[in-house]
Amino acid sequence: MSYADYINLVINGLVEGLIIALPALALTLVYGLARFPNAATGDIVAVGGYAGLAAHHLTGSLIVAGLAGAAGGAVASVLAYLLAFRPVIRRSVITLLLTSIGVGFVIRAALGVAFGHDPRAFDMPLERAWRFGDISIAPADLSLAALTLLTLALVFFMLYATPLGRSLRAIADDPDLARVSGIRRERCMLAMWTIAGVVCGIAGTVTGMRTVVYPDAGWNMLLPAFAAAVVGGLGNPLGAVMGALLLGVLQELSTPFVGFVYKIALGYVVMMVVLLLRPQGLFNRPVGVR
Amino acid sequence: MLTYLLSILVIMGIYMLLALALDLQYGFTGLINFGLAGFFGVGAYASALLTLKAGWTPLLSFPAAMLAAALLAWPLGRVALRLRDDYLAIVTLGFSEIVRLVLVQEQWLTNGVQGIPGVPRLGAGWGNARFSDMLLLVLLALSIAVAVAVLRRVTHSPYGRTIQAVRDDETAVYVLGKEPARFKTQVLMLGAALSGLAGAYFAHYMTYIVPDQFVPLITFYVWMAIIMGGVARLSGSVAGAVLLVLFLEGVRFTRGIIPGVSDADMGSVQLGVVGLVLILFMRWRPQGLFGGRGAR
Amino acid sequence: MTSLATTGISLSYGDFQVLDGVTLSMSLDGLHGMIGPNGAGKSTFFAVLSGFLQPSAGQVTFDGQVLRGARPAARASMGLGRTFQIPREFAHLTVRQNLMVGPRDQPGESLLPLFFAPGRVRRAEAEIADRAQHLLDFLKLNAVADKPAGGLSGGQKKLLELGRALMSDPSFILLDEPYAGVNPVLIEEISQRIREINAERGIGFLIIEHNLMALNRLVGDLYVLDGGRLLAHGEPDQVLADPRVREAYMGAPAPSGAEAT
Repeated sequence: MSYADYINLVINGLVEGLIIALPALALTLVYGLARFPNAATGDIVAVGGYAGLAAHHLTGSLIVAGLAGAAGGAVASVLAYLLAFRPVIRRSVITLLLTSIGVGFVIRAALGVAFGHDPRAFDMPLERAWRFGDISIAPADLSLAALTLLTLALVFFMLYATPLGRSLRAIADDPDLARVSGIRRERCMLAMWTIAGVVCGIAGTVTGMRTVVYPDAGWNMLLPAFAAAVVGGLGNPLGAVMGALLLGVLQELSTPFVGFVYKIALGYVVMMVVLLLRPQGLFNRPVGVR
Repeated sequence: MLTYLLSILVIMGIYMLLALALDLQYGFTGLINFGLAGFFGVGAYASALLTLKAGWTPLLSFPAAMLAAALLAWPLGRVALRLRDDYLAIVTLGFSEIVRLVLVQEQWLTNGVQGIPGVPRLGAGWGNARFSDMLLLVLLALSIAVAVAVLRRVTHSPYGRTIQAVRDDETAVYVLGKEPARFKTQVLMLGAALSGLAGAYFAHYMTYIVPDQFVPLITFYVWMAIIMGGVARLSGSVAGAVLLVLFLEGVRFTRGIIPGVSDADMGSVQLGVVGLVLILFMRWRPQGLFGGRGAR
Repeated sequence: MTSLATTGISLSYGDFQVLDGVTLSMSLDGLHGMIGPNGAGKSTFFAVLSGFLQPSAGQVTFDGQVLRGARPAARASMGLGRTFQIPREFAHLTVRQNLMVGPRDQPGESLLPLFFAPGRVRRAEAEIADRAQHLLDFLKLNAVADKPAGGLSGGQKKLLELGRALMSDPSFILLDEPYAGVNPVLIEEISQRIREINAERGIGFLIIEHNLMALNRLVGDLYVLDGGRLLAHGEPDQVLADPRVREAYMGAPAPSGAEAT
């Protein structure tokens, strides 16, 4: 393994990590405000993938595809909230968790019936990878990474520099205090679910462009996204992104040693180790996990 | 016709064992186990490999399968038991996926994604396939009866009382001088053993096992069973398993009624039905069709 | 030496000093009270005593034994019981079953005796059921004995928690606000039960309360916690007349008046 090979792995890991960062962020946002891990997150990603695919077929424009993916994700996410989660939002975590499993199944079933199980690919122009010595970067990866970074930047800007974002963070920090201080909870919830949906939708489109779109694609992203969010600290947006990048790079770097199959397992193992040693996540203050 | 009926009964029986295991863990002890499929798979592969590759008799391989699954539950318990509900769910889910990845990767042992064909039928030397199936069904029924008797003893006893106390309020159990961790670990292992037994029956009935048969979807089928049947109620688990299989088979029959639904779509429709049932039951009847204490 | 004692218990969350050098010693067979304004650290102190929180400094000694790092279950096994501010009943078990969970080291709580020593399990169960029935009579909870504990009133839950703690055979019980949310009639009932338990079984209590009137009539001595520090200690009337204590409560009325905030 040459030093260039390692750089390639790191680059790949960063790109993969960036993509996982999106659903990880969605997971952590939902956890922060609605206080449950949303197992349907992955399937919202898949919705975004198909929405982006359809838009790309119609218009051939990647930008429209991205917007469509975002819109598709947002719609699915908000519908899931209004129809399935809001009626049980005050119940126990396990109720919400099982409901989200159900929502994910329903979405996956609908996608399967509507689009079939064959993987579909975007019509992407074939491009040669840029080479810097032995280091190669696919231009597609670069633009997708840029899109992902842009999305993350926008979300973080919203979270930390706008009144809405301040309200969202206030509710996540202390729901009772937020209620008393008159923050419009329902409006914030809708905003949060929309943002989570947009983020997932873009992740779906990006992943679809990078690989393929198929109904189970979302579920396969779910556990890595969970692992990233847990490692970073559930409820911590920055933590989710850092966790995703960290796991992405770790997983890629481990591939020469453990192989393609086990590199996926590595994410779960790291998650369990973190839960054992520092349950609040790497970037959170100690909170009740036990 | 008889073959079909037989297969339905066997599948019901296997899900009954799984539902009993999950109900013990979740209904009675409050453990959110999303990793049931992992123990199911370990039991299946253990018995399949021991009979096929090591020439063991099922008389020994079945208990070995239970033991293997139970032993696997122990480290999971150490890791997971101090975690809160939702974290436990994520960790157990990750665990069952790791099991599946190991089954895929360790081809020298498990034959990877191609799976293991030719798992010996029970009583293969005594009769034909039909005879084996009936023998399996009888043994399965006996196993279920024993399992129910054992679980009844466990749940209707001071042990059962204390695990329900752990479910209802773990902190209050501490101040009575008892360690919840011991109970949780034992319950995890007991449930894992039952799941492993179900796996062994599965392997010797299907005679061809692949890692893809042990995906999280199976775990959630079992969750659906106990939610429908009613948690914290052994009879509810049994009833829930029956309902589950009826549901899944019922969906198959609708194929004739609803136009335009192909075979491939059947899997999707089943998935959708399970999802819908989960959503609706969680909202309107979390205690299940047959009630039961301990619904949260 | 039968006492519950602490020396220099301190606990801080970051910069915030929750407990600051709390040193005290009380007899294991007495009735003791602890009061203080909200946020004074009373419940935190209980958490340290019962092992749910580790202090950053100081140690707890119970019946001659230093409890260093001992987990809550271990401390309870030594005879230190406790109840909680918000009752922690086993909601889906009946009142009777709640009580029967109480005793320690029941043979039926282990799988092997359950299947291989059924006689021993049965005998132990009969004895426990007997004790539970006596407590149901004593606590006057017979009417709800076989109803799920989750449906009880606040006061009944407090009584149940007390009974359950008694079933675990403690030598001393930490009672966290036994009167909170309880109607006045039951308050007197609870006080009377505590007196009887103390007199008949020699079990001592340390009681956190805000209801100064009821507490004053019950305990032999009172500790006052304020801002994590032990402010005063002595007979209830003396302590409640202490101007520092009055000031800590910020305008609390004279002891014969209503509750402090």
